[in-house]
Amino acid sequence: MTKSIVLQMEGIRKVFGTVVALDDVNLQLNSKEIHGLLGGNGAGKTTLMNVLFGLYKPNAGKVELHGEKVEIRSPKDAINNEIGMVHQHFLQVDSYTVTENIVLGTELKSWPTLKLEVEADQIRALSEKFGLAVDPDTIMSDLPIGVRQKVEILKALYRGVEVLILDEPTTNLTPQEVDDLFESLRVMVDEGLSIVFITHKLREVMSVCDKITVLRDGQNVLTEDRENVTEKSLVKAMVGEGLNVEESVVFSSVVSGAETRWGASEFGEPVVKVEGLHAQNEDSIVVIKDCTFEVRQKEILGVAGVAGNGQQALAECLMGVCPIHQGSVIVDGMNVSETETRDLLEGGVAYIPQDRLLDGFLPTASVAHNLILGYQRNQAYSNKGFLDWKIIFQSARQQIDEYTIMTPSAGDVAANLSGGNIQRVMLARAFAHPSSFLIAHNPTRGLDIRSIDFVYKKLFERKEAGAATLLISEDLDELFRMCDRIATIYSGEIVGILEKGEFDKYEIGRMMSGVKAND
Amino acid sequence: MDEFIPQFVGFARLVVLAIVPFVLASQGTMLGGRTGLFNVAQEGIMLLGASLGFLGAYLYGGLGYGVLLAVFSGAIAGLALAYFTTTLKMNQFVIGLAIFFFTMGLSTLFYKFVVGVTLQPPLIPTLQDLPIPVLSQIPVLGEIFFNQNSMVYFAILFSLFLYYLLYKTSFGLKLRAVGENPKAADSLGVNVDRMRYFTAIVGGMLMGLAGAYLPMVYTGTFTAGMVQGRGWIAIALTFFGGWSPGLILLGSLFFAGVEVLALRIQVGGFGIPYQFLLMLPYLATILTMIFAFKWIKAPAFLGQNYDREKRSLS
Repeated sequence: MTKSIVLQMEGIRKVFGTVVALDDVNLQLNSKEIHGLLGGNGAGKTTLMNVLFGLYKPNAGKVELHGEKVEIRSPKDAINNEIGMVHQHFLQVDSYTVTENIVLGTELKSWPTLKLEVEADQIRALSEKFGLAVDPDTIMSDLPIGVRQKVEILKALYRGVEVLILDEPTTNLTPQEVDDLFESLRVMVDEGLSIVFITHKLREVMSVCDKITVLRDGQNVLTEDRENVTEKSLVKAMVGEGLNVEESVVFSSVVSGAETRWGASEFGEPVVKVEGLHAQNEDSIVVIKDCTFEVRQKEILGVAGVAGNGQQALAECLMGVCPIHQGSVIVDGMNVSETETRDLLEGGVAYIPQDRLLDGFLPTASVAHNLILGYQRNQAYSNKGFLDWKIIFQSARQQIDEYTIMTPSAGDVAANLSGGNIQRVMLARAFAHPSSFLIAHNPTRGLDIRSIDFVYKKLFERKEAGAATLLISEDLDELFRMCDRIATIYSGEIVGILEKGEFDKYEIGRMMSGVKAND
Repeated sequence: MDEFIPQFVGFARLVVLAIVPFVLASQGTMLGGRTGLFNVAQEGIMLLGASLGFLGAYLYGGLGYGVLLAVFSGAIAGLALAYFTTTLKMNQFVIGLAIFFFTMGLSTLFYKFVVGVTLQPPLIPTLQDLPIPVLSQIPVLGEIFFNQNSMVYFAILFSLFLYYLLYKTSFGLKLRAVGENPKAADSLGVNVDRMRYFTAIVGGMLMGLAGAYLPMVYTGTFTAGMVQGRGWIAIALTFFGGWSPGLILLGSLFFAGVEVLALRIQVGGFGIPYQFLLMLPYLATILTMIFAFKWIKAPAFLGQNYDREKRSLS
């Protein structure tokens, strides 16, 4: 059976300022095909699809639908050409109902009354057909992330799309939800849709895609049918020559089939003891409920969970930023509720915050400034309240070398750094000062593969050296790879803790949706 | 008791008469805000509306000409705001304040240019009451609501129309979406820029009209600064009314009530220096804002420009 070509993108080029995000990229999509668009962060996957969806104007190149050249200048043009896109960051109006979000911008028969029963029924029918269960009358902000994603997909289906773009659709889903999503995608393809599936996860492309295109640094590297590729060949295509795949942590399971190289060690004494921790936010809503756990020397304890289930509050409680309501947190002999955050930092607690732009760095200060932020009172840097810039710049230059931070000089403004390099500054700061306990919250989010590998290696080095680590992450693969134990958090409660060896993604998936371990 | 009812009716009638500038300016603010465009030039646009409203009526001998001129000037001010913020992506508050100063200056400039300095300020005939047949005969209510000038009816009916437009039409669904999440609206084919231009211009027209009401109903002439902070209070009223047309209409009764009360006490002479009484509306504004801020919900993207190609930093 020969498949007809639905979409052809040719020679697409997109430049942001001086950065070439896409350089002569081609993509061909056949009908009834799930086409995996694979690549690390910054490879240009999303940029390419934003061009297709009319969000970005390309500097060169053309788009053809069914062999005819089309100009897509705005999302409206894309929709008129039956192209739909599910963005990684959902584009939804929180205060609207599901129905209102879906019908927004379409021609409504009920335009003078806004009685949307007919449309709601249509949505119910669609959600049944494609296995995307959602109640059309719920207010958007009341829905969990997994359901909000289904709304995004329904939004596209409601408009009768032929080409559906999914941008990292599994990021916030539990493993069960991922399986359901893949089933829905199969139904869509059977109904005649063609799907572009953007991801950086190998396992996903291998399990759901028919054809795979790999992008790297804004360029085509490979396009093949799934039958003709292996995980290993994809890895090579994704990372190129710059990374020694055999040595990398990220691909350890792919390459060697085992994760023992960085394996378990003898744990030492408990460094962190959390008992019956309760915390509330400013609106007096309980964010942490009755948490009890320990982290030992040479141990990495993972925290799994769907984003927004109290991870941030947990990290901030341990750092003394968020007030502790009940219970006790002892870190390295210090009672956190009675200790200033600055003393915790000096006493050997390091923190890599999840939102590095908001909580982690000063964009208008220099790189050197940022590298000592929070540690500026250390003896090494200051003398009776005066900063010793010579020493600070010296150590900054040293760290810039060691952590390969791409910056013209230590005095350059930090805002000029790219996302990956900002994260390297965070790491350098957290690792350069002696610490017995590290809290790392999504430390690899938004990083390219090389940087991710770098982070993992640093974490393992610290583990070897005897430090305790709390790794909060929404990426289960990351937790499986790195952790000795994994605690799962759901609405501020630790639902269960699994030891290495009993890690099971479906078990954790159940706990992520609130089912207790022993139920 | 016999004294009380006519006294109350007289007071209530004045309050309803006084809501007009608040309601119109505030609905104009609300309309822009609902698409994320926060206009802070009300005071200036109202002054210009007052000045041109007076001059139009004075020069061409008909209030209608004044109204047209005032509305037109408001539209131009709104267009300028939309152009600088939506097309050129400049800061909304800075541009808003610039327009405030500019229009405030223009208001006295035009007046001086046309009228010059006179011993006796020229007067225009004020707007006549237009009792509505039958309805105005209802005891108490008829006198308060249906024996007013045409602008009062317009302000109330237009507020109801806005409520209908925003909440009961698909156009309103799109309009509100632009202020809540412009990127979401854009991704669904709603033209964010066009929507913002539209609300800025219509909003400016309402503000110009609000200003024209002052010479046409209250004084019959234009004096510098005659808006007396009503434009700023309109911003507070917009927040107080939760950026919703219906509540703004209700909330305007409160602010108009305080204004009329201040006048009443002044005339009654309770031995309080009148300057203190003039402070009442602003004091009320501050107090209500302290309490209202707890429960109001402003549009999520209020005051923020939208740039489709701007990449988020993370």
